[in-house]
Amino acid sequence: MRILLMGHPNVGKSVVFNRITGANVTESNYPGTTVDYEKGYVRIGHEEMEVIDVPGTFSLEPKDKAEEVAVKMLERNKDSVVVCIIDSTKIERGLYLALEIIERGSRVVVALNMWDIAEDKNINIDVEKLRQILGVPVVPTIAVSGEGIKELVSRISGATSVKIESVMKNVGGS
Amino acid sequence: MEKKLSEMKYGAQGIVKSIKGDLRNKVAGMGIRVNKRIRMATKQPIKGPVVVTVDESNISLGLGIAENIIVEVEK
Amino acid sequence: MKLSVDERWDIIDKISKETVKFGEYRHTLKDALAEITVKPLTGIPIAIAVLYGFWSFFGAFAGFFTDGFLVKLFDGHWLPWLQDVFPGGLGNWFYSIMVDAGHMESGVLVAADNCFESFGVLTSGLFVAIGVVLPAIIAFYLFLIILEDSGYLPRLAVLIDTVFHKIGLHGFAVVPMILSLGCNVPAVTATRNLETKKQRFMMMTLLAIFIPCGAQLGIMLDVIPEYVGFVMLYLFLGFFVFGFILNELIPGKSPEMILDVPPYHMPTGRNVGRKLWARLRGFFTVAIPFVLLGVVFVNVLYLVGVIDWLANVFEPVLVGWFGVPKETTAPLVAAFMRKDLAVGQLMGIQEQLGMVAFNTYQLVTSVVLVSLYFPCIATVAMIIKEGMQDRGKGVITFLLGSLAVLMAVVFIWGGLLHLIWIILGVA
Repeated sequence: MRILLMGHPNVGKSVVFNRITGANVTESNYPGTTVDYEKGYVRIGHEEMEVIDVPGTFSLEPKDKAEEVAVKMLERNKDSVVVCIIDSTKIERGLYLALEIIERGSRVVVALNMWDIAEDKNINIDVEKLRQILGVPVVPTIAVSGEGIKELVSRISGATSVKIESVMKNVGGS
Repeated sequence: MEKKLSEMKYGAQGIVKSIKGDLRNKVAGMGIRVNKRIRMATKQPIKGPVVVTVDESNISLGLGIAENIIVEVEK
Repeated sequence: MKLSVDERWDIIDKISKETVKFGEYRHTLKDALAEITVKPLTGIPIAIAVLYGFWSFFGAFAGFFTDGFLVKLFDGHWLPWLQDVFPGGLGNWFYSIMVDAGHMESGVLVAADNCFESFGVLTSGLFVAIGVVLPAIIAFYLFLIILEDSGYLPRLAVLIDTVFHKIGLHGFAVVPMILSLGCNVPAVTATRNLETKKQRFMMMTLLAIFIPCGAQLGIMLDVIPEYVGFVMLYLFLGFFVFGFILNELIPGKSPEMILDVPPYHMPTGRNVGRKLWARLRGFFTVAIPFVLLGVVFVNVLYLVGVIDWLANVFEPVLVGWFGVPKETTAPLVAAFMRKDLAVGQLMGIQEQLGMVAFNTYQLVTSVVLVSLYFPCIATVAMIIKEGMQDRGKGVITFLLGSLAVLMAVVFIWGGLLHLIWIILGVA
């Protein structure tokens, strides 16, 4: 089984990748130098899983070639688990990408990264409630220090795909 | 008063009223959307790009792109 | 089911209302810094200072190690030692390739007294790669990685967008451009951040032609320190002049910039170290073998007489159009393999020919020619790879297009420099 790490550029995606795989991969915090993808492996239970660090993208409507690469990778790996990494301080636009991925029917785990910075900025996120609404695992993480990574990995094998309609229902809309 | 984003003054704030056509999809992932508060952070000289702030994120847009976003500017 | 943009945001607004509480936001020093570095009035002077700092650091760091230490080591100890112990001696073909081919001085074959002139694999090859280029590469990437990890580059892109906009590119093109000053190979990949095929074609072609790599910069700084500024200015000017022309000629769209400007981060030592190591590993495994092979390649061509033959064939063009001696043929051949090697070789040739036969202005023209003329093999391979991805079967047109631009540029921009020297009365 494959795991795709997706998220905006500059959300610490590559740091999460390094934490999960233990690989010695350079972390490009900012868009520009990493436009190719990195591959690594993680053992979960008895299964060796391939982890792909997908180039950062803001949405699944690609506006340049680097984002196109990201979207193609998602399309080619429909049965993989997507770990969607969100900058907790910019949760709304992060959720936009997460919803797009959920709509496409992929199994998703959401990582709320940079949790510490969000706390510093007085942004308070009710993780349990978010989990209920989205219907997918949501894990706060601080990739630079490694906090939450273990839990994130433990949630991967249990990830299921959800219907966007159920998200709409959970949030109380029509 | 409704204005094009490109015509907003430095420091001005407002609520996004409409975004033309295809651009709506392109800027959506960056958090720019209708009914969202937007602030003009800087304008570069000689028809350079603008930098706007939405939800504490800074996004730079070419002036030609900013022309396609209409904002209800607050006085 | 797929939602429309508005439906999606509608859900997010509801989710956000249910689960997120935004407290009072306190502006920090970082925010203030973020603001002054992107506002034109303060941002442009800061950008100039940063770039100047980059350049000074590069020169100072590389100069300190190369001139202060490595030149002495190579010329004072390594070369004499090799000349002493290496089997064969002057005139032997293997000795010529590996250590020193020697050169004619009033009818006598004499040995070289520095590692530029000797042009052997173990002398010039190692000296160029390790003595000159390695310190330059370390300095360049160290600064670039810090700029990148701190989050400064997108701000630079915003400030410089206006200029790039005039040639149909946008500010983010500054990222491949700066990367290209280190090495064209990652820079070609970085052009993916541009939107249209037109923009990517323009950027790849212009980069490959006009932007010298870190290795070449390092060696230029060592051999013609007082003219590097001029060479760079001339090349950058060419970048924009031909960018402007290409933008007019090539059909296709040039969409404007949409760029996230992220907050600043303090770069971590661990990450900077890792990245630097990755770059250096690339240099050791790819670049150094190319330098050494390049020396072998050129030396073999010398020995079998191909270089002399080529020099005679191209003499009319080199001397007549560009105003450089026919001996520059060999460095131009070497430039296929490595640009740094070619510049190093030019220096050696000037020392052999003497200032009268090969004056400084001609040297500057030759250095410019080495830059403009064919990108090194590694870059060509990368352009083919990216072109394949971008165009599929159209890659042939893509490459021929690049080649046509290249030929035009070499003749126009190279010839123009000769004309400038003529007008100034120095050629």
